[in-house]
Amino acid sequence: MDTTVRRGDRVCRTIGLAGIVFFLVSAFSPLAYRLNQWMADSPRLVASDAIVVLGGWISPSGMLSLESLRRTNRGIELYRRGLAPVLILLGGSTGGGPTEAEVRAAQARLHGIPADAILTETRARTTREEAARVKALLEPRGVRTVLLVTNAGHLARARPLFERAGFEVRGVPSDPLVGADAPESRIAQMRVLVKEFLGWLYYRIAGYI
Amino acid sequence: MEATFIAALAGLTSIGAYYVGARALGLPSARLGAAVGKMLESVGMVLIFLAVNLTTSVLIVLVVRGLADTFVSAYAVDDAVWLGLSLIQGLAFQSWRGSAAEPASGR
Repeated sequence: MDTTVRRGDRVCRTIGLAGIVFFLVSAFSPLAYRLNQWMADSPRLVASDAIVVLGGWISPSGMLSLESLRRTNRGIELYRRGLAPVLILLGGSTGGGPTEAEVRAAQARLHGIPADAILTETRARTTREEAARVKALLEPRGVRTVLLVTNAGHLARARPLFERAGFEVRGVPSDPLVGADAPESRIAQMRVLVKEFLGWLYYRIAGYI
Repeated sequence: MEATFIAALAGLTSIGAYYVGARALGLPSARLGAAVGKMLESVGMVLIFLAVNLTTSVLIVLVVRGLADTFVSAYAVDDAVWLGLSLIQGLAFQSWRGSAAEPASGR
């Protein structure tokens, strides 16, 4: 009994030490930023057939999350730079509220993007479904090359899915590529990276990518 | 700048706490290492609870998706409250383990 307890203590102690080291390194070093930059790769801003902005999150009252706004703004910027003739905005609704894609489309129109250049897709609920729905939407239009907009960590999972769907993908990370100095921002960034890594791992194990 | 300030301040209050403990409260400095070890065990227990909670909730989401015709987002498990709940669970469990290891007080 005592031996088991002591072994349990040692395991807890090791996990605790690893957790504290990970926390301190994440908060007080630029590790999260460097990892994110490495995952982002350099964006390939070349003329393409379409800009695809992946869904983020919207509140039931219709307020876009910060990440959703970042992606939308990046997509609008790419369109305004003349990099593609079509802007595809994705995202469903939360709790019966307005859909993310429609709120984003309204924002794009406010920025002067013509309504007929905007396509929306509101039914996809996962990244995998987004790739399938976008394929169904764009294949009849003969779209082959896409500028894929999402955060850097998510690109690692989204890019192979869209490539499998038959697109030539140019990844465009939505992240602000400036190193966050505040420990809280670094922790938040590391949390996103860990979450995206687990998502990537799940997709790999499930054979989706 | 902000990170340096926070790290320096935490270092300063830690040194202050050491002096209060060793001088004002008369705590033996030799026991500090063992106390840090106990703290690491508690943190480890909290992390174990966190991992179990998150893994279980992801599995439940996947099972619900597979069995029912309703979609549950995996992002439902992405909530900072898990850390707080795991903290309560881990510390309580660790205290329970600690009290079980102590000799009975007779009450």
